[in-house]
Amino acid sequence: MRAFEFSDRALDLPTLHGTVEDVSCGGYVSFEGWVRDHNDGRRVRHLEYEAYQELAVKEGERIVDEAIRRFGVTRARCVHRVGDLALGDLAVWVGVSSAHRGEAFAACRYIIDEVKHRVPIWKKEHYVDGDSGWVNCERCAAAAGEPAVATHSHEHAHDHVHRHADHAPTAHPAGLPRPDYSRQMVLKEVGAAGQARLRAARVLVIGAGGLGAPVLTYLTGAGVGTLGIIDGDVVDTSNLHRQTLFTMEDLGRAKALVAAERLRAQNPEVDVRPFVERADRERLPALAKDYDVLVDCSDNFTTRFVVNDAAVSLGKAAVLASIYQYEGQLQVLTPGSSCLRCVWPDATRDGTVGNCAEAGVLGPVPGVLGSLQAVEVLKLLLGLSSPAENAVVLVDLMTLETQRLIARRNSACAGTCVRVAEAERRARSAPVATEVEVDIAMLDAAERASYIVIDLRDDLEVAAAAAPGPIVHLPLVRLLENPHQLDADGRYLLLCARGARSRAAALALRDAGFSSVWSLRGGLAARAAG
Amino acid sequence: MTTVQVQYYAILREQAGRSEERVDTTTTTPAALYEELRARHGFGLERSQLRVAIDGEFADWNSALTAGTRIVFIPPVAGG
Repeated sequence: MRAFEFSDRALDLPTLHGTVEDVSCGGYVSFEGWVRDHNDGRRVRHLEYEAYQELAVKEGERIVDEAIRRFGVTRARCVHRVGDLALGDLAVWVGVSSAHRGEAFAACRYIIDEVKHRVPIWKKEHYVDGDSGWVNCERCAAAAGEPAVATHSHEHAHDHVHRHADHAPTAHPAGLPRPDYSRQMVLKEVGAAGQARLRAARVLVIGAGGLGAPVLTYLTGAGVGTLGIIDGDVVDTSNLHRQTLFTMEDLGRAKALVAAERLRAQNPEVDVRPFVERADRERLPALAKDYDVLVDCSDNFTTRFVVNDAAVSLGKAAVLASIYQYEGQLQVLTPGSSCLRCVWPDATRDGTVGNCAEAGVLGPVPGVLGSLQAVEVLKLLLGLSSPAENAVVLVDLMTLETQRLIARRNSACAGTCVRVAEAERRARSAPVATEVEVDIAMLDAAERASYIVIDLRDDLEVAAAAAPGPIVHLPLVRLLENPHQLDADGRYLLLCARGARSRAAALALRDAGFSSVWSLRGGLAARAAG
Repeated sequence: MTTVQVQYYAILREQAGRSEERVDTTTTTPAALYEELRARHGFGLERSQLRVAIDGEFADWNSALTAGTRIVFIPPVAGG
């Protein structure tokens, strides 16, 4: 039994269901694609499916395997019919079982969407008027949507819930208007050739937050062919003033998945690929290989440098932006241009610049910078040059001034960036990233175990709200001036307002040889909430 | 005494309480100028954490400071 199979005989649901049953699972989600009586406004009498099976099975198995790894589900399978099918016949079945329903729904959706787009299957439609025609499944998925849907979920063995077409994950009714790019194709820089370039382009957006929302929305609207979204975060109420892809209904859901839903609804022609993961130094380069342009919409220095380094190493173009209160910085990288490390030679450590007690941001500020990023990505894809190349553009929305500062490529970088090469060499030789954070639930235990708790906030913050308990106050700046005021063998728990400074300090101290230094995850804010 | 136009971004602007100012200084490099302004405005950031631009181009901290130049101090920002 393979994870992906073709069948030339009618599919038997109880048998299929049995192949994904597992007592460790609390939920099962399935998708059934049925033969429908119409497509693109024509009455359909029956169908034939044909597949290039050798290639198709391999690709299908890859998709199921990706879904299992990406969403952490227990079992997943997909079986597709080939041969002659009558109206109402089951054409494709996807079944997923997992401990919890959220991953099962996401994995099931992922499998059917990817199968539709990636597996070479052709459909011959026989119409009522006696005519017939071959339809590639990708095209039919984009233009006409799914035949019909039935999903079943059982959280508890006795609680069966049936949902039908009105709750279908995809519901593009037949005859839905196709996206119309005429308003941009009129531009002489775009035209039919430019539109074809956009359609062929693959763009990976790192971060689906305040910057990511306009980037994703405009690239989807423009008809960029493939749009990857990587974000490991979930939607929170504090995101909604600036992250316009999300609503209150989405709280607690993975941003990448919600964004993908919205974007598919906005433009079904775009192949949207969500990844609910952190873009770290291991994962991002592997993922970025398949894309043409990387767009950094992250909210931290670590990720920004990971994106920069991946773009430089792989020779990809990248559009970087970041914001602070009412300002933003924008930089465009192309192979051979200056990069983030020409401007900032040493990767800035999160928490050491600024203040992790919210610096604050006005919602439209990332909207403006993200919109600029979207423009820059489209210019790159259309082969237009950018003044943000070999420069950093500073945008000040308080004064409405923009300023372009020339950033020349480091003269020491011949083939590739010497600093990226050095950073990658260090990352390879360094042990796996050290975990320095502890959770709020562990705090009392830490105190009992006689850790010395150090409050790293500055004097003003402490005066405004002193932390309760037996805590030493030592502002971050004073600690970093002379780390050896701490006992090298001492056990320390560092805390600050929200956990960014303390994490940075703990990492710095670990590097300096202090082995028992920890940071309180989420800082005092988490402690108050807990 | 050299007169230069200085611009601040991000947290430096917050701490200086202004986005730009005219400065009369006896210092001769952006490095020394930053230390002088750091003492005046109470900037928290070390010089190693910022970059300086002179007349629209990122520059070395030990470049010569000449009258009438436009100096920009820029910290890295990471919000998104």
